Amino acid sequence: MKRRLLTMILSAVMLAACLTGCGGKAGDSGNSGDAGSGGKKAVSLWATGSDNVREIFEALVSDFNTNSEYAGQYEVTLQFMLSGTGAQTLADMLAAASKAGQTNTDYDIVDLSGDDLSKLVSLIGQEQFVKLDSSKIPNAASVEAKSSIATDYCQPYRGTTVILAYDSAKVPTPPATMDELVAWMKANPGRFAYNTPGTGGAGDSFARSSVYNFLPEEAFTSDDEKWIGEWDEGFNFLKEIHPYIYSSGGSVVYPNKNQGTLDLLNQGEIDMCPNWADMVLSQRASGEIKDSIKITQIDPALTGSLQSLVIPTFGSNTDGAYAFMNYMLSPAAQELMVKQMAAIPLIDASSMDMTGYEDLQGLDVSNFRLQSIGGLSTSFNERWDSEIATIG
Amino acid sequence: MSKNLKRNLVAYGLVLPAFLVVMLTVAYPIVLAVIQSFQDSKTGEFTLDNYTYFFTEPAQLKNILYTLYVCLMTVAIAIVVAYLLALYLRFVRSKIAKTIGTLYLVPRFVPAMCAVYAMITIIRDSGLINRIGLVFGHDVKLGLMYHANGMIMMNLWFNIPFAALMITAGLGAIPDSIIEGARDVGASKFKVFTSMILPLSIKDVVVAATFVFMSNVGSFTTPYLMGGSAPKMLGIALFDQFNKYLAYNRSAALSVIMFLICSVSAGVYIYTNLKENEWEK
Repeated sequence: MKRRLLTMILSAVMLAACLTGCGGKAGDSGNSGDAGSGGKKAVSLWATGSDNVREIFEALVSDFNTNSEYAGQYEVTLQFMLSGTGAQTLADMLAAASKAGQTNTDYDIVDLSGDDLSKLVSLIGQEQFVKLDSSKIPNAASVEAKSSIATDYCQPYRGTTVILAYDSAKVPTPPATMDELVAWMKANPGRFAYNTPGTGGAGDSFARSSVYNFLPEEAFTSDDEKWIGEWDEGFNFLKEIHPYIYSSGGSVVYPNKNQGTLDLLNQGEIDMCPNWADMVLSQRASGEIKDSIKITQIDPALTGSLQSLVIPTFGSNTDGAYAFMNYMLSPAAQELMVKQMAAIPLIDASSMDMTGYEDLQGLDVSNFRLQSIGGLSTSFNERWDSEIATIG
Repeated sequence: MSKNLKRNLVAYGLVLPAFLVVMLTVAYPIVLAVIQSFQDSKTGEFTLDNYTYFFTEPAQLKNILYTLYVCLMTVAIAIVVAYLLALYLRFVRSKIAKTIGTLYLVPRFVPAMCAVYAMITIIRDSGLINRIGLVFGHDVKLGLMYHANGMIMMNLWFNIPFAALMITAGLGAIPDSIIEGARDVGASKFKVFTSMILPLSIKDVVVAATFVFMSNVGSFTTPYLMGGSAPKMLGIALFDQFNKYLAYNRSAALSVIMFLICSVSAGVYIYTNLKENEWEK
């Protein structure tokens, strides 16, 4: 009796092991869908990010499947990886699938940030993505924004950037260039602030842009340690503007976090600060900050990033992927992204309802300034903390 | 098996789970951190650099002194105020005293984050006080935000009730009969205080002071939200080393330094406790 029980348990365990062994390989072409109109119907969309990104993608996918011109023709399913939860990131999974020589996987279309895209290009090369045929993405014709890497192999569909947020009630004509901004700071001491680098992307962007404005453009996307030696001029600039930054109780203060400066701006303690366009606009739309707070970009621009879609060559439904790509650049999809995440639309926004987000139309998206200094950022923050924060 | 041995085994069995948990989650990481603090971040060889960094780098040295300043000020003010409050609650019998006696613990029940934000909205340069001032034509800028004074004020909010609670318990243990006896033989109020109440409650005062000190050395929420860019409290400096600079060996060294600062106060605590045992004999 006992023995029979043991045999049963053992065989059950082995069966389970077999099943998991076969089914566990992500990226296998599991769902073939029906081949009704000659092409495959099912399209797998892969994306990663925080939960608000998942929400927007779910809304987009359901809109695509039910309302778009492709409804019925293709059926997109979302494969979402919440950032910071998986052992492997989406970029790692793609690289692994490519290096293992897999073909016909269900990585049909993938959403990638600028950072992930550059990581993948350096890992597996841009040829692992389909070179995009513009005739299959008619909506992209009006898109001016171009990714600086793998330009012909990815399709940007939304962006966000650090901008200058200002209180229009106090600053009727905001500065248009960095020089004008500095002149304004000197004329209005204590009315500008940027957050401590390392505590939020806006402060990072402002401090790094200020330093890298003195360096060749190529340096801004390089993690080569040789550039550390050339930071001096930029840090001297940061020291020069230091006395004109917001101060409280007799000493200059750099608040922590993006929200720290935005609160100061909202409270009227400062009139201008760098911040994320999407953060400012979504908080303004929900009434958390004053309506008089507007955004503008300066030249040279503060940094931003483009979100792009790619079609891996080892996917299995290129036509379906093109259809979704085209949909993402339709006014309906772009409007959804503006409303839900204050993303900067990349197509002509005149046909879209931009109520509450009019500022986004004024941003020049054709010239997104990207930065990725990799590991240098730790040395940068350390130097800022010990040289700038301590001036007092 | 003898009865004694059995009883001992049961006793050890009861203590064992707690002992293992403490060993695994407290002692083991501390040992690891101490070892790591003496290692070079690249080669792993023995070095004192991680420590010398904190005592030679001007910004870091300032952080240590700043933390000590904030903590000692907090302790001094909190203890004096709490002691006066406790004396009042113990010896004054009135409706007001009773009401204060129930209300003074309320801050303990307000979540730290809410309390800090509430304080910020009141004392910031554009906060409630500033706005009330503007109504009367004065632009009051307290300058408390991003400075030590603001943080000390916030720490007092958290620590006065705590210290008062401990000291009140101590004062409550002094029997009325002693005081009445002393008064009967003609001792002045001041004499009663200096030679009876103070010696009998000093132990609780010292214990409260050590607890207040230790809880502030490693504090994070208040300095992160209310502190300035430099100098920083050690809790923030540690966060920087660990999360911003990814300097794990230096983080370990700073943790050990903070541990040592706390152990001074822990030493005082243990000494006071032992001394009382001596006196009780």
